[in-house]
Amino acid sequence: MPLLNDLTAAVAAGKRTDTVRLTQELLAAGTPPQTIVESGLVPGMAIVGEQFKKNEIFVPEMLVAARAMKEALKLLEPLLASAGIKPKYTALIGTVQGDLHDIGKNLISMMWRGANFAVVDLGTNVSPDKYLAAAKEHKANLIGLSALLTTTMPAMKETVKMLKAAGLPGVKIMIGGAPITQAFADDIGADGYAADAGTAVDVAKKLVGEAA
Amino acid sequence: MKATSMTGCERVNRMFARQDQDRIPRCDTYWPETITRWQREGLLWDHEDALLFLESDFQALCWSWPAPFPQQREIITQDAETETYRDAWGGIVRYWKGRSGTPEHVGFGCDSRAVWEKTYRPAMLAAPLQVNPQLTALRYHKGRQLGRWTHLSGVEGFEALRKQIGDEAFLIAMVDDPEWVRDIVRVHTDVVLRTFEAVLAEGIQPDGLWIYGDMAYNHATICSPAMYRELVWPEHKRMADWAHAHGMHVIYHTDGRVSSVLDLYIAAGFECLQPIEAKAGMDIRTFAPTHGDRLAMFGNIDVMKMATNNLDVLEEEIRTKFAAGMATRGYAYHSDHSVPPQVSWDTYRAIIGFVERYGNY
Repeated sequence: MPLLNDLTAAVAAGKRTDTVRLTQELLAAGTPPQTIVESGLVPGMAIVGEQFKKNEIFVPEMLVAARAMKEALKLLEPLLASAGIKPKYTALIGTVQGDLHDIGKNLISMMWRGANFAVVDLGTNVSPDKYLAAAKEHKANLIGLSALLTTTMPAMKETVKMLKAAGLPGVKIMIGGAPITQAFADDIGADGYAADAGTAVDVAKKLVGEAA
Repeated sequence: MKATSMTGCERVNRMFARQDQDRIPRCDTYWPETITRWQREGLLWDHEDALLFLESDFQALCWSWPAPFPQQREIITQDAETETYRDAWGGIVRYWKGRSGTPEHVGFGCDSRAVWEKTYRPAMLAAPLQVNPQLTALRYHKGRQLGRWTHLSGVEGFEALRKQIGDEAFLIAMVDDPEWVRDIVRVHTDVVLRTFEAVLAEGIQPDGLWIYGDMAYNHATICSPAMYRELVWPEHKRMADWAHAHGMHVIYHTDGRVSSVLDLYIAAGFECLQPIEAKAGMDIRTFAPTHGDRLAMFGNIDVMKMATNNLDVLEEEIRTKFAAGMATRGYAYHSDHSVPPQVSWDTYRAIIGFVERYGNY
């Protein structure tokens, strides 16, 4: 459908006005909101993720693309909610206890939303108890832990340990942040690790069983 | 050549000139929690003592990060662990009490170009001098007595943007309103250089300018090299040109993966890169052979390897990276960020031993 393709291109290019206009046109043409999200917006953000991974675009371009998608979702979310349509997967995200850094977490959060995950942002300095309670409350499929500092990596280990010990069925834990490596993720028993915001979408999809 | 036959100042200047030195220059940075740990394990006083053990060659003189409202610190909320306040840049930040770490940016007073132009820009230009020239001169004379390489320090455009309007706003403005970004960086640079002019008016002649600005993370630069070249690089060059005009060398500090912009740094007039973050994929064994003749390498010793306290791993890290850096005569020791508290005092003393063993020419 040409309009959906145009919408995908507009999101990928971060064209906010075009994205909103095309979304309105698609709605006016009777396109279901879920189709607009899944076949127009999400593919646009997927392009952004791929380009970001390859260093073809950088954080500013990613942010304007996410902003364009957010503007479109403002039109679509009330319609989706009234139809009882929710994203298939719910992800929690937060920066671990002892760490107030939020930039990396916010970028991952935007990209997960762009991949049509429902994202619950727990903020910074999140205790293991808070992650656990939120995972139960929101019936999360995925929990993302972020840490910027080498000094807060032990808190990440403690959080993973506690969440694993809680035996949350089917809940996957994913970690990331400047000092984090795959080896550290393996060492502390995290289910996944991503080095950047683009890869974080692929890893999240794999972990919840969705083809990346 | 006999070890320690040169002063720190001679050593660092010869590093910049790619001339023989007795040993590589040395400096390091530590998290406060690391110093607290080391004090329990044998370090007598503070980070200055650790630097004495290391025999650091550098003497910082002042720190310039000008703010529009230098006296402002209005506490908004606090709890047992954190304090949230409006800072000198008009931003609302949450800091730990009694613990180091990056603050959480809750909000920014300067949230549009209109607000910048009406309030913050004039305030920046009218704010009083925020460095004490007399104290700077005292530090300079102390550094000279100790034979150290003396340097002015200050932040550049990326840090200024981040602090003034926040990450998200400045990154979006790079796309939406590049002229606003240019203006913030230009005004910041004006004030920093005006500050340094006031310092030099005390009759001192520092050896260098150490510019701080984190413009990358572990995957890449925050913005594209082209956007950096267009929006921030001209002010980087202006800072470097100013330093050179005053007989100073230029060190640039940035974390993150900056391999794609090394040539732009050289073109700007940066002569030395620090701390060259290993966990972001930066490795001087790759860059020293290609860029070491034009860009001195300062650091790159992996703090994650330090944190293992595995001396075999550390010896290999230091031996191989020193060999690559020293081959150009343009290398100085520093960790690749700040030494973390997972590193024991015994391990750090062993690191100093390796620095002595492998760092002599």
